[in-house]
Amino acid sequence: MIAFGLRNALRSLPRFALVAALIGVPFFLLLTLHAIGRAVDAYSERLLHGVNDTLQIRAAGSMGHLNMVAQSDILQQRIFDRVGQLPHVAKVEPYLLAMTPTEGHNFAMVVGVEPGDARRLESHGEAGSPRIIAGRDLMDSDRGNRVAVIGQGFARWARIDAGNLAGAELTLDLRRTHPVIFALDRPATKLSIVGIYASGYVFGDMQLFMPLDTFREIYGVPRGVSWLFVKADSAANVPLLEQRLRTEFGSEADVVAPVSAAEFQTTTARAVHRLTAAGMGISALLLAVVVYFVMLLVVRQRAREIGTLKAIGAPNRSIVAAFLFEALAYALTGGMLGLLSLLALGAPVAQKIFGPAIGPFVPAQYKDTLLQVLSISTGVDAERMTILVGAVALTALAGSAYAIVQITRLSPLQAMKHG
Amino acid sequence: MDSNASLIELRGVSKTYRKAGADVRALDDVDLSVARTGMLAIVGLSGSGKSSLLHIIGAMDRPTSGSVTVTGQPLDAVPESALAGFRLRTIGFVFQGFNLIPNLSALENVMLPLEFAGVAPKERHDRASALLVRVGLGTRLKHRPSELSGGEQQRVAIARALANDPPLVLADEPTGNLDSKTGQMIYGLLREVSLERTVLVVTHAEALAQMATRVVHLKDGRLETKS
Repeated sequence: MIAFGLRNALRSLPRFALVAALIGVPFFLLLTLHAIGRAVDAYSERLLHGVNDTLQIRAAGSMGHLNMVAQSDILQQRIFDRVGQLPHVAKVEPYLLAMTPTEGHNFAMVVGVEPGDARRLESHGEAGSPRIIAGRDLMDSDRGNRVAVIGQGFARWARIDAGNLAGAELTLDLRRTHPVIFALDRPATKLSIVGIYASGYVFGDMQLFMPLDTFREIYGVPRGVSWLFVKADSAANVPLLEQRLRTEFGSEADVVAPVSAAEFQTTTARAVHRLTAAGMGISALLLAVVVYFVMLLVVRQRAREIGTLKAIGAPNRSIVAAFLFEALAYALTGGMLGLLSLLALGAPVAQKIFGPAIGPFVPAQYKDTLLQVLSISTGVDAERMTILVGAVALTALAGSAYAIVQITRLSPLQAMKHG
Repeated sequence: MDSNASLIELRGVSKTYRKAGADVRALDDVDLSVARTGMLAIVGLSGSGKSSLLHIIGAMDRPTSGSVTVTGQPLDAVPESALAGFRLRTIGFVFQGFNLIPNLSALENVMLPLEFAGVAPKERHDRASALLVRVGLGTRLKHRPSELSGGEQQRVAIARALANDPPLVLADEPTGNLDSKTGQMIYGLLREVSLERTVLVVTHAEALAQMATRVVHLKDGRLETKS
């Protein structure tokens, strides 16, 4: 009866195609939303990596921004040199930061980092490692060169086209001021923009990274650092290390455990997860509803056949198996169609449709930009196939449950009369 | 008739339906014994209760009162859940509208009851082929119902009814959708089948019924003629 059920699904090819398409759409939604949820997870993991085992040191009471009013004190070089020698320190990453006005009361951040170190985003706590969306990242060979990677928001403001980075330049005018930015008596500098990144939130996209050596040269800061990120050899040793740093440098430096970034990201990820889970639930419901109506229609259309089968002695289990496998054939074909649609359209649809749709439900600084930073994976893997197969089986079972109850309750006579 | 020698025994069988708020008596105190071989025609006008009688004998419906015994098995003692198995082993059905499964070939249609009975695929194929050869459709095994004439479809239905070699074949107006010549041919086939089992035919076609070995008439749910 399995083969019989599968053949029944193919009785009318146009109807089979229509049903598969009707099932394929919610499957596509389900798989795409799952892909978004997974991308958010991966993004969160990336952001949180380096937070749980990392501490930040700044000059006491200062943001460490070279040209920010009342926040321009930086850490002395000896602290940088000393921190690296402390026990349980796995890595020290120095940052230099300055601000540059953009328009109105807005400004962008300019950051010097060692190429290869994590590019953490100001204003978003200290998490993050933005994704390059055009051009390339900083490399070791860039040290000392006037090159930079820039956030997509900053690039938009500077009219730098992501599609054409050849010859893209940005001029940093250190004399420009702003209510909280004072002028630096340094010459304006042109930087070649070699890459554009997306951070996932508005503030993070208004930032520029250049090699630390280049920053020192442009801003005239041969020694000292704005921030030090101190990576412990394990998350378990962070409290010990924090205590040691406070003991050693407490009078001249603030030691910050960047848990706020983790909490912030976790909260945002949770919001997106709720949305995608709700969307997946609605998609699954849609799937079951489509299969429900299709199978109800099929049972009504074939009532006489059901009656005939019962009359000639078919046990209920055989008839049920045939209809169940027919429902499975519909659901599986719809599922494969949904998967193929995901492969072909998943990423662009997620960006173009789900991004703006999810935007209003996440914190403002994520609006419109969150989906841009996510790497939506549309490949076929074990997890996705498990979800697909599970959804196919559940959809076929749940959607055809009522039809199956009807089949088992119908007497042969009733069935043949209905037919 | 000695009940031990009968294939079917009906004693005081009545059937009342509720229709539009009123009781309709489809069968009224019917007594009937049917021999183990031969062809019995139940003749009556539309609404006389002949189909109700067929359905009750075929274990597709229960009487309101009275007892029905088929192949020595009192049907009121057979639970609902076991009726399908009883029909599978004991009864072959032939319907007026043929009731073949449209997307299965003639061979596959005949193989269906064998599959329900758990017969191995190879044996199913061989037995179904032999039956179709027997009803003169040896060259039409792979044809679907839509590719067969009405007479051919009814012959497939008869082959399907014989698949599990049941002692009883019930035919409900088997020629109702056929021209008279084809109808005669089908009756001839049923008559031949009845040499080795009981064939019970319900019909309103008096002329064709005369081909049966025994004819009973039903009127207003009561047997008029017992022979």
